[in-house]
Amino acid sequence: MSATEASAGKLAVDEPRRAPLLSRTLRRREPMLVVVTLAIFGLTSAAQPHFALQGNISFLLASAMPLAVVAVGETVVMLVRGIDLSVAPVLGIAAVSTGFIAQDSHVSVLSMLPLALAIGIGLGFVNGLFVTYARIPPIIATLGTFTVYGGIEQLICNSRTVVTLPTSWINLGTHDFLPDVPYILVPGVLVTIAMALILWRTRWGRSIYAFGANAEAAFRAGIRVKAIEISAYTVCGMLAGLAGLIYVVQVGSAGYNTGSEISIQLQAIACGLIGGTTLTGGKGGVVGSFFAAIFLTVALEGVIVAGIAYQWQSAGVGVLLLVAILIDAYQNRQGRSVSEALRSVLGGHKPVQQEASS
Amino acid sequence: MSVVAETQHVVRRRRFDTDDRWMISLVVLLVAELLYFNFGISTFWGGGWGTSYSFLGYGESFLFTSMIALGVMFVIFTGDIDLSVGYMAAFAGIMMAEFHIGGMNIWIATVLSIALCAVIGLIQGLVITYFKLESLLVTLAGGFILNSAAVAWEGPVPPYGFPHSYDSALGSGDISGTIQIPNQLIVFAVLAVIATLVVHRTRFGRQLVLVGHNRQAAAYAGVRVSATRVKAFVLSATFSAVAGMCIAANYGTARDDLAPTLLLTAITCVVLGGVDIFGGGGRVPGVIIATFVMGWLAPGLLQDNVNDTWATLIAPGTLLLAALTIKGIVDRRQGVSFRAKTLARFGPGSPTSAHADAGDAPGTGAT
Repeated sequence: MSATEASAGKLAVDEPRRAPLLSRTLRRREPMLVVVTLAIFGLTSAAQPHFALQGNISFLLASAMPLAVVAVGETVVMLVRGIDLSVAPVLGIAAVSTGFIAQDSHVSVLSMLPLALAIGIGLGFVNGLFVTYARIPPIIATLGTFTVYGGIEQLICNSRTVVTLPTSWINLGTHDFLPDVPYILVPGVLVTIAMALILWRTRWGRSIYAFGANAEAAFRAGIRVKAIEISAYTVCGMLAGLAGLIYVVQVGSAGYNTGSEISIQLQAIACGLIGGTTLTGGKGGVVGSFFAAIFLTVALEGVIVAGIAYQWQSAGVGVLLLVAILIDAYQNRQGRSVSEALRSVLGGHKPVQQEASS
Repeated sequence: MSVVAETQHVVRRRRFDTDDRWMISLVVLLVAELLYFNFGISTFWGGGWGTSYSFLGYGESFLFTSMIALGVMFVIFTGDIDLSVGYMAAFAGIMMAEFHIGGMNIWIATVLSIALCAVIGLIQGLVITYFKLESLLVTLAGGFILNSAAVAWEGPVPPYGFPHSYDSALGSGDISGTIQIPNQLIVFAVLAVIATLVVHRTRFGRQLVLVGHNRQAAAYAGVRVSATRVKAFVLSATFSAVAGMCIAANYGTARDDLAPTLLLTAITCVVLGGVDIFGGGGRVPGVIIATFVMGWLAPGLLQDNVNDTWATLIAPGTLLLAALTIKGIVDRRQGVSFRAKTLARFGPGSPTSAHADAGDAPGTGAT
């Protein structure tokens, strides 16, 4: 199958339509992730029956949501060839700001939503300015803002922590509105669907992809590239702010190193990559990142249930990340399938020497 | 006529270019910083040169970061990046400590750990170049794995209890004399001299920079691009491992909690030192000066009764962003973009082309 398929792929554009349904589905990252997640879940539950209890499924889904929302935002930045390391302190600032207000004056969660979004938008916009107008490489610019925002987060905390949230917040964070479907899941799913539709169906979304695929071509096509790039960082910041609110509701506490403590920026980048988005821009989507966040959470929880010491969790992230980029590299290279790629590696065939232009 | 052209171009090349100006600015910044802290704050100067509390002693709080900066600099020169350096240092320290606790002579353990870390760097480099993956991602994953390995290996209590001579030699000891010099400063100076000579005075160093400047050109020029990149990763891992030893000796215990800070500060130092983050440009002495600018900033501000958060997070971050913004503005105002630099170096009218066309170009001497 593979040989004919590969040769057909070079000649005909409609090659995917002729591929069998199964391999077509497996080539897409999102269904693959769902299948793998369910498989891990099934295996773990078989080994440890209490893993599949209702409360635990709900908890797993809920605890994946802050990461999922951050990953969706990170994906938008990755689509424009950027990277945003500062999402962790942005999440932290939103979490502690809303948390302190809730702790002190018992406001409702929804009334804190504008604040969380505004924090994210403001900080994300600043990132965008540094990248676009000061022309600092994204990884360095957001490294700088990571440090500065982290400082702001500490200043806001001023050695206090968010510990006693109002009961309404706790309930929202721990209750289900359907069996196995926690309230927390709702904003995550809504954000993902909304961003997916916006990216695919609006002019702004298409401009994001166009800019990421080829900035020069996008500029020549009349896209306002600077506005697009800034908006990508702003949206990423906004979602990180939203994730901060979700985080504080879900976890119920926040402190001076919330976000940075679990390196959520690196986890989010990992989710984007596992979900099929590349660092070279213009390719991928937010749905994959959403599923990747759930996959990562379930996989890491599974590792613990499997009796492996929790210290190896971050190695798990690392290995998954490596596997994801290896698969990605081989699928991209001349559209080869994974099995072909593996065969060529194991067969000792050395790929033609071509210098990567990273 | 061609002689005139040659001379003029030589003169032009000896004037300060942007790299020189950047270094001069850094030196001015460093001098201003030291003057301010030393004259403004009595505690920073301490008892003067002769005592162990002079400002040189603060080196023990940042010199290991400077060593990591030197290491990651090699990788940045080639246009890659190494995000695993902080975790590499932590892992190296814990490996050495565990070997030592297991009964090995501490110096053998040190050498062995550094060598093993170099092998890990080699593996990372090979994975990156053989599979043609982004160094950012592979070293990110590598960092995660090293972090786990370090935390799992050390167990609930970080290993401690090194011989006093070891703590003193690589950590908090000084060379006494009229000026007390911390031993770490000596270690750093050795590494700094090695790094400077390797990058600016050897064939490998030129290849390193060329690979970062233009990989294709390097390949056509017969440079073994992948091998050069792999060597940079090995150097990065080695320098990080040495820094890990200094951390362990300085704190008397192997620590895994410093890793993220080490990475961010080290990259900040390299970029502040004027090295092009996309590779192919910069000077090692710039990085060395930048590590001191960054290093003395936090203890100085802390002595100045600045809030801890401001001194350790906000000020360095702002310094980085401000410096790069200014550099960007200055570069663009002079039209010295990357493209312009390339044109100036290799394009028409450049020293290279003038030399090549010297025989028949009538307009060469006009400027």
